[in-house]
Amino acid sequence: MSRTSLSRTLWSRFAVTAAAALLAVAGCSAPGADKDSTGKNSSGPIKIAIIDAQSGQLSSLGAWELKGAKLAVEEWNKAGGISGRQIQLDVFDDQGDPTVGTNLARKIASEGYIAMIGTAESAVTIAMAPILQQNQIPNIASGQSPGMVALKSPFLFLNGPTSTTYDETLAKYIVETKGVKNIAMITNNGSYGKGEHDAFTKALAARSITPVADQVVTTDQKDFSAALTTIRQKNPQIIFLGAEEVESGLIVKQARDLGITATFAGAAPQGTPVFRDTAGVTAVEGTLVSTPYMSNDLNDKTKAFAAAYKAAYNEDAELHGAKAYDGAQILLNALKSSNVATGKALADAIRATKRDGLLGSFAYDGTGVGIFATTIGTITGGKLVPAS
Amino acid sequence: MRTRATALRAGGLLILAVIGWLLPYQLDSYSIHVVDVMIVFALLAIGLGLAMGIAGQINLAQVAFFGVAAYATAILTTKAGYGFWTSAILALAAAAAFGLVVGLPALRIQSHYLGIVTLGLALAFTNWATNATITGGAEGISGIAGPILPGIDLSSEYLYYYLELIVFAIALAFGLFVVHTPLGRRMRAMRDDALAAGAIGAEVPALRMTAFLLASVYGGLAGVLYAGLIRYVAPETFSIANMFFLLAMVIIGGRQSLVGCVVGAAGLTLVRELLADYPTYAQIAYGTVVVLTVVFAPTGLAGIPARLRSTASRLGWTRQPAAAGTAALGPFEPYTAAQPVDSDTRRTEPILAIDNIDMSFRGLQALRGVQLTVAPGEIRGIVGPNGSGKTTLFNVISGLYKPTGGTVHVSGRNLTGASSHRLARVGIARTFQNLRLFGQLTVRDNILVALDDTRTYQAWRYLLWPFGIWRHDRNLRTAADEILTRYGLAAFGDALPGALPYGIQRRAEIARAMARRPRLLLLDEPAAGLNGEETRQLSEIVRSIRATGVTVIVIEHNMSLVMSLCERITVLAGGTVIAEGTPAEVAQAPQVIEAYLGDSDLSHDVPAPVPTEIAS
Amino acid sequence: MQIFFQTLIGGVSLGAVYALVALGFSLVYRTMGLVNFSHGNVVMIGAYMASTFYLTAKLPFALATVIAMAVTGLIGVIIERVLRPLENKDFDLMLIGTIGFGIVLEALATLVWGATGRAVPSPVPAAPLDLFGIKVRTYDLVVLAIAAAATALLMLFLQRTKRGAAMQAVAMDHEAATAVGIHVGRSNAIAFVLGAALAALAGSLVGPLLYVSPTMGGTLGIKGFAGAILGGFGSIPGAIAGGIAIGVLDSFAAGHFQGYSELVTFLVFTILIVIRPTGIFGERTVNRA
Repeated sequence: MSRTSLSRTLWSRFAVTAAAALLAVAGCSAPGADKDSTGKNSSGPIKIAIIDAQSGQLSSLGAWELKGAKLAVEEWNKAGGISGRQIQLDVFDDQGDPTVGTNLARKIASEGYIAMIGTAESAVTIAMAPILQQNQIPNIASGQSPGMVALKSPFLFLNGPTSTTYDETLAKYIVETKGVKNIAMITNNGSYGKGEHDAFTKALAARSITPVADQVVTTDQKDFSAALTTIRQKNPQIIFLGAEEVESGLIVKQARDLGITATFAGAAPQGTPVFRDTAGVTAVEGTLVSTPYMSNDLNDKTKAFAAAYKAAYNEDAELHGAKAYDGAQILLNALKSSNVATGKALADAIRATKRDGLLGSFAYDGTGVGIFATTIGTITGGKLVPAS
Repeated sequence: MRTRATALRAGGLLILAVIGWLLPYQLDSYSIHVVDVMIVFALLAIGLGLAMGIAGQINLAQVAFFGVAAYATAILTTKAGYGFWTSAILALAAAAAFGLVVGLPALRIQSHYLGIVTLGLALAFTNWATNATITGGAEGISGIAGPILPGIDLSSEYLYYYLELIVFAIALAFGLFVVHTPLGRRMRAMRDDALAAGAIGAEVPALRMTAFLLASVYGGLAGVLYAGLIRYVAPETFSIANMFFLLAMVIIGGRQSLVGCVVGAAGLTLVRELLADYPTYAQIAYGTVVVLTVVFAPTGLAGIPARLRSTASRLGWTRQPAAAGTAALGPFEPYTAAQPVDSDTRRTEPILAIDNIDMSFRGLQALRGVQLTVAPGEIRGIVGPNGSGKTTLFNVISGLYKPTGGTVHVSGRNLTGASSHRLARVGIARTFQNLRLFGQLTVRDNILVALDDTRTYQAWRYLLWPFGIWRHDRNLRTAADEILTRYGLAAFGDALPGALPYGIQRRAEIARAMARRPRLLLLDEPAAGLNGEETRQLSEIVRSIRATGVTVIVIEHNMSLVMSLCERITVLAGGTVIAEGTPAEVAQAPQVIEAYLGDSDLSHDVPAPVPTEIAS
Repeated sequence: MQIFFQTLIGGVSLGAVYALVALGFSLVYRTMGLVNFSHGNVVMIGAYMASTFYLTAKLPFALATVIAMAVTGLIGVIIERVLRPLENKDFDLMLIGTIGFGIVLEALATLVWGATGRAVPSPVPAAPLDLFGIKVRTYDLVVLAIAAAATALLMLFLQRTKRGAAMQAVAMDHEAATAVGIHVGRSNAIAFVLGAALAALAGSLVGPLLYVSPTMGGTLGIKGFAGAILGGFGSIPGAIAGGIAIGVLDSFAAGHFQGYSELVTFLVFTILIVIRPTGIFGERTVNRA
């Protein structure tokens, strides 16, 4: 311990002074200013990034998305690519964390990717949007939060309907088709749950209905006795669920244990096997699901997609893969029609693309949403079938 | 030798500064972003290092301090319409206020209790951020206004880097300055031994709050820079997983060294970036390294040079520096007896008056109606069988225990139940039966902590007048060198106490207590473990101390020492005073002999009091 | 009133799991003075082990649980063995070392079982009991019974057996225990194994109640630890009382404050601990100078 701390302190101060002096000298020529920040080439493969959670709790969504998008890209590459160029799809892991997302947005910008597919998490997409907009990288996202639309980024497109559409369809079916007015809600405070809460409340309000109970839970809550008992006392006919797969499953399971027999209703997460398995097949019987992709057997297109998906990955296709497939097709079509444009031109080409896809007919409006319809299904014997 | 080292260090710093300055010219736009994020984490790590490594406060809420400032900046710029710089100042204040609130429990609880409470409060913060409307809920806040400087476009991450670099350099320099000057030294002392720190006048509660204040301000700085850089905040960024990641940085880098924390932060951010596609493997890697670090290299990367040096010297590769093992304890240089005597001793008032003190621990009555009056300038002995309450009495006098009954007057002032640091400021100093030197501080630093008499609230000077602190520190160092020389410890100034022989540690503890310039010195078994020669030197030291007007109370089992040294002796047994008087009187009191039956030291040692030595 | 009781019951059943977690914390702490922050992650491993044996190997639930307890006990041995050099030396470092272990365990579970987790069907399919409109799940009663039995067995072990008595002695004064010939290292290892086995028991029981995923350890660990401290750290009855108290606190906070429940739970916990650091059953330790 021969070092004397004080001299060290002095020298640190000295370093600061020296740094300040250098600032004065180098102040005029800024680094990085002369670099080509986009690095977009007009030869070689077309670089497209897919950003999604490949690790962490939301990684199943990320895995499905990747499979769907990859299927589309492989189809195009097999057919010779676009303008003679192959398409290079590189995957990045955002870990479901918006901040990691912002890092990745900068990364793909600096590495010359011309478009991005993903993410499945609205919060991550919202975090990335300003950077992508600044770097003029079109993004086809898979989230459904109206918050994405509110950003008004001309570079952000959705590959499916927003919560507004999901919940409007659902509310319409419940209230108008079924004539049910006694409705309770249980939603979580995550980005998905919050979006669902607001959209469904709005859809009910448009029909002059106030939910009999409106319970909010946290995303990692385990015991729902209090919320569910409150709901039970109101004796609703239908309970709207605004939470991700696992939590929704737990809520339904506990609700049944508490003797609640009401029908549950929800959107995309309630159509998944994870939800079904967490709650148990009998518990979810009759659940109403608002979905843009009812099943693989809907029409010839979905059947062909499901067959290709099965052949490639040896598992059954589902909603998220289908959405990503549609989104990727739209992007690739736009690339073709614009002769591999980049930036604003590519965004405009996407906006002009019409597609009759797996989810229905896409035609983008100024807000970046291309499809405004879902259908209602019910879970019968553990499978989602169209509701009567 | 020393000038060469200084020149080397200066050269190294200059090179570092130049590298830091030229770095952006070598990086692409993404790499510079990674570096920008790295600096933010380095600031956070410095804050955590100050709280955990320097002040010993387990703070698992650092990530929440970060979050409070980031959110405050976001809210103030997007919702309240303030500019970035105004928001930054307010955000720092918010983080500091939050830090003080989180630090409050530290006044009552420590260690793992503090760990779980701060962790819980960090979770509470994330929960709030996820729910509140003002924070944008789980979707967070985007579109944060960045900083604006005339003529410099800070939206370029290259130029933002320089802003961060300057803030970082100043923050690191300030942190190092704090660590190596009185405030930081006192925090390190508190980390090593809060009780002993209190007993030498360190205001432990205020210091703990200062630690949290520092941690939160550094966390706040990081939060403001983060918000300006990313322009977006969301709750996930402030998750427990990131808290543990930050903790790993500090542990791997070396928590007791701020530079180590910075190295750890830079290293782990880079590794995480390199393994970005394999986050699970990255997690395994850094978790494993944390485990290996705590087991094999508790001082982290920062401690490796010192470990290499000590290995090298053990293997005989280099010449032994400053020879901790070979040098012997120097002779004690007596105080010049003619030193001005404290005006207090002229008064007839007793320096210490203890009246009817009771002390009980959950039914166990350790002291019962103890009376003790000590006149100024006296050497008082306290003896008694094991478990008779001697040390408990010392703990009451020095404020470690609050008595359950009775009063303590020091020079006529009622100081019953006062805190130990307050009593230390009134002029009571003590040593401990089981030696409580600050283990991670050098002997010189041990003395320096005791010498410094500034109050914690005067720490504002660090911000406004650092030069004054620097000068004050230089004066303290001169005084410390005098004390080291006087107590024959000059050769051990730079050694860690744990490495020294027992006798030297005992001497160092007395030196530390005397560095307080006390009026009343309490010595708890100062001769325990000393050999004959060392015991002789001890009594010489105690006499010399008394000669300067300091009153001394000694607990001691070595009866011949007590009999020869003390003017009066108080005998405790079973928590009460059973006898008091001159050594001769006490030795003949029947109740004393009875209390000591079976405990044979007294019966052997008593018969030979030396009257001539008592008389003075 | 119905809401009150139903919430209480929900809180108590979740609290029983927290209590089992807290029991493991306290046992390890009282014996070796170590706070094992990876305990929650050991619970998670136990949950995965038990559910794997139950679902994949189709073993009976009880047998799956016992095997899981044995396997996690082994993990306990490994953790203890690695951290042994720090025992009775640097408390804070050891604590951080266990955090490191927790991080590794969570990542390993992700590698082995994937990140998305799994649902475990209840091994007790009987319908819930109905008491004046208040529903009590039969499985909750099983969990409560097992928690009670585990506590009773642990108490018996500590008080009636020689090995248990030795562990008690180590808990009080490890130096004195060494002096009378007790093998402190072995005693510590047993404490750690027992703690890990308790964790596995908690994990196995919590599987059908909740959902098994690599991140489940975090919440369970923090709440369990909070329960142990609230009850009086190191006290066996305290762990039970504290765990259940945290479960009930959690449940009512969720009922009254909905989304803000976590904030409220931890604020209340902080205030309680600051007011009474020794918890409900804690002994005030005398700090000898």
